[in-house]
Amino acid sequence: MAAVAAAPRPLLVYFGRRPEPAPPIQDSRLKDLAAKALEAARGAGAGYADVRLTHDWSTGGGVAMAESLAAGVRALVNGYWGFASGPVWGSDEMARLGREAVHQARTNSLGNSRVVELAPAPAVRDGHWVMPVKIDPFEISPSEIQDFLLSLKIYAERFPGTSVQNVDARFLKQEEALASTEGTYCTQRVYGSSGDFSFNLVKGDKGLGRALDGLTPAGLGFERFRDAPLREAIRRLIAEMEEDLTLPEKPVDVGRYDAVLNARCTAGLLAATLGPATELDRALGYEANAGGTSYITAPFDMLGSYETGAPSLTVMANRSEPGGCATVQWDDDGVVPDEFTLVKDGVLVDFQTTRESAGWLKGYYAAHGRPFRSHGCAAAASAIDAPLERTPNLVMAPGSEAADFDDLVAGLTAGIAVKDMLVDVDFQHSSGSGRLYYEGSRMGSTYEVKRGKRVARIVGAGILFRAPEFWKSLLKVGGLASAQRHGFLDTKGEPPQNGCHSVTAPPAVFKQVTLIDPLRRA
Amino acid sequence: MSGLGRFLRLDDSLRFLSREECAALVQRIRGLAQGGGETEVDITSWWSGELRWARNRVSLASDRRDIRVHVSRALPGVTGDGNVMTNQLDDISLTAAVREAERWAHRSKHFRTDIVTSVPDFQYAKPAIWSDTSYGLTTEERGRIARALVDPAEAAGMLSAGYIEVRAQGTASTPQEKPLMYAQQTTAQCSMTVRDPEGRGSGWAGGSSYDWTRIDPEALARRALEKCLASRNPVTIEPGRYTVILEPQAVHELVAWVVSDLNKRQAAEKEPGPLNAGYDTALRLGRSKLGLKVVDERVTISHDLMDPALGVIPFDDDGWGPYPVQAVTWIDHGVLTALSYGREYAVRMLTDNVPIAPRMAYRMSGGPTSVEEMIATTKRGLLVTRFSGVSPLSEGLFTGLTRDGVWLIESGKVSKAVKNLRFTDSPWFVLNSLEQLGEPVPVFSPDAPAIVPPLKARDFSFTSLIDAI
Repeated sequence: MAAVAAAPRPLLVYFGRRPEPAPPIQDSRLKDLAAKALEAARGAGAGYADVRLTHDWSTGGGVAMAESLAAGVRALVNGYWGFASGPVWGSDEMARLGREAVHQARTNSLGNSRVVELAPAPAVRDGHWVMPVKIDPFEISPSEIQDFLLSLKIYAERFPGTSVQNVDARFLKQEEALASTEGTYCTQRVYGSSGDFSFNLVKGDKGLGRALDGLTPAGLGFERFRDAPLREAIRRLIAEMEEDLTLPEKPVDVGRYDAVLNARCTAGLLAATLGPATELDRALGYEANAGGTSYITAPFDMLGSYETGAPSLTVMANRSEPGGCATVQWDDDGVVPDEFTLVKDGVLVDFQTTRESAGWLKGYYAAHGRPFRSHGCAAAASAIDAPLERTPNLVMAPGSEAADFDDLVAGLTAGIAVKDMLVDVDFQHSSGSGRLYYEGSRMGSTYEVKRGKRVARIVGAGILFRAPEFWKSLLKVGGLASAQRHGFLDTKGEPPQNGCHSVTAPPAVFKQVTLIDPLRRA
Repeated sequence: MSGLGRFLRLDDSLRFLSREECAALVQRIRGLAQGGGETEVDITSWWSGELRWARNRVSLASDRRDIRVHVSRALPGVTGDGNVMTNQLDDISLTAAVREAERWAHRSKHFRTDIVTSVPDFQYAKPAIWSDTSYGLTTEERGRIARALVDPAEAAGMLSAGYIEVRAQGTASTPQEKPLMYAQQTTAQCSMTVRDPEGRGSGWAGGSSYDWTRIDPEALARRALEKCLASRNPVTIEPGRYTVILEPQAVHELVAWVVSDLNKRQAAEKEPGPLNAGYDTALRLGRSKLGLKVVDERVTISHDLMDPALGVIPFDDDGWGPYPVQAVTWIDHGVLTALSYGREYAVRMLTDNVPIAPRMAYRMSGGPTSVEEMIATTKRGLLVTRFSGVSPLSEGLFTGLTRDGVWLIESGKVSKAVKNLRFTDSPWFVLNSLEQLGEPVPVFSPDAPAIVPPLKARDFSFTSLIDAI
């Protein structure tokens, strides 16, 4: 039993009658297992079916280790989708899931007609891919991770007046096998990580709290902690906090101001507005009863002409960038996602798509001489969940001049500078507010700027915006070196599924942003 | 075959783990533990049958199930514990999980003080939380229901999107040396949004209960369609303070935050907020407002798990062992009478062993006024269907958005649909600015049942216009 306990892969699979430890995802017997589900689905009348097997590991946030297996089958019958899933990897179970998915689909295909045209995708023959991370957090001792975090805490607390509030590192790993009735079979392993590191600084009778902002979710392993210049980041942050404490505090003076937003705030606004607004299924009302629709209200009419922002706004999407939260080799339709442009020089030129939703754009693509294909945005949290269209990694194009946050502030005669913001938008992802203070206090990282210098901290401020005008008010965009990638969690669907994607954005200057006191009642 | 093989046979005879299966599983896990100490096991297993539609067509029907086995090990002489989760039930997987928990218990720096030496022989209530109808609602029936809900919207030229879900879950928890705590419950929900194809109007209706027969899908479909048609082509009004008539769903979106505050006695004593009465320098204690009047005297907020519409799992465990969930009156005729606390607080502060379980299920008392009468007696005000995205700002204030229908009331009549608005206000202010209350009814709250009245309140603060319809 001791030998078994030490084995890294304890979960069991039923290839035949006898259980055996779950093998690595490349094991060819998993392909046979997947084929059982496809046979059953085809035998029951599916026009198309796919099956996913996932093996998940996660650690952090008080749970030492969580490990689970899942299998899910999706079937298409006369334009209707059915899905069935469970926690067992076994040949009998695969057959059950295949039949059940068809049963689910068939039940609804009896009434009104529905047409689904899946955008063509070349079949993947036995592909295997591993997200390139330097240190697999599940292959090192958990003590190494704990000791590292403790050393960071000790380092930060050596600075006079500091006390660390929260330290955590969370990791996940997912192995997935995907097979479809079109002959695709591929397996891949992806990683995710995120962390918290927050501390207070007290000088005399004044104090404030901050968190390192580089630990948002990413497709990285433990190297993002061990090899990152986190001590330098802590040192810089403490210096910044000390500088903040010397600045006078000023109540919010409601009005309109030119505003410099740092990279994280700009990325956060993109993640809250244009990110969800360019999901094609959302724009067409598929999320109307859940998280809402899109301010791109007539997607087919607006595509190619709608001015979503200033000419300096270009937004690209991908699921391939190293370190991206949404990075994969194949999406949950088995498509190799391409890099594509959503907004070019301010104009809406495309939508996020899956094989199904790309089908809705077939006519548009043909009329404009563009290839008819999915952008590879199908994703599910695990095989227990049915794939949905999810936001890929987004990249806002940097400006041509090499300007960073401080340069942009230096170029501002009068206005505000914002380093941290919590964004809250309406259910069409248009009208929103940005909260510029931290929970439990009225202070944030928002500054009054005069003649290129931060001269005061603004107390209890917020901004109000309407996404279409806001992106048109983009005055200046920071350079390539100033762009940062941050990971954003979101929820979509019924039943709700959590997802994560990265947004890379530079700091930017916006014209005449509305500054409010968010705690003032009417 | 071991547990996993058993689960393989969970086709349609039983789609989650029974009490006997959980008891056997716990027995096996305890037998695998090495080195003494305590072994806690929590097991949830669930099945869910779902149907989603959009643009008047079913977009996905699904049948899903999964298991979560949480194993927590605490070892003698070690202050930490190790928590591990698996969804596999065979001996090899479970052994690996237990060993992993033990390794973590050795390593953990997490501090645990054992103040509770034994769990008394509590009596547990048997609330109504299981419905054979919910569990037995087949894929075919869900499909038929969805079609019946879509048809009226489609006939009216509108676009319907919605969701039906029936779910069954077995929850097991292990008190020290006591028989297994187990509950099986069902939940059912149905909600839909009907939108004008040009995006000029939107209506919503939803219902939830443990029992599918308590939901009236046809009534929901009618309501969502009526709301959509009546909400079309809204006009702009200035933000500001308005008398509001909030339908029960809108009241719930606010009062759920009140209930959330009632769930935190320690926060009420220590942190500034609507339930904090400041620091008592003589006693050197933070004080809550227990015993003080906190809202309008017409308001009573309570929860009785034996109320057939408010059943919840009859036990809770805050990490110190399970205890019974009992009936509670949080606010009695405006006076704060109870706040939730855990066993540690009970033992340390109250020399008692029985906590008051936190919970989001609640009943809010009502009054004699119908929504029609509220409208008829309003000179100028707004009628709100529901709120969306309600979130805390700071200092007891919240912000959120109106959604799926807001109407202007002028001289006792609904005069026109208006555009959606953002509010900045506090639910505690609302419960102190009441004019009228109506009959409490079950609202859409799939995670915890709630019975809530419509109400009319003064001076509700709308701070900006929003674009979304």
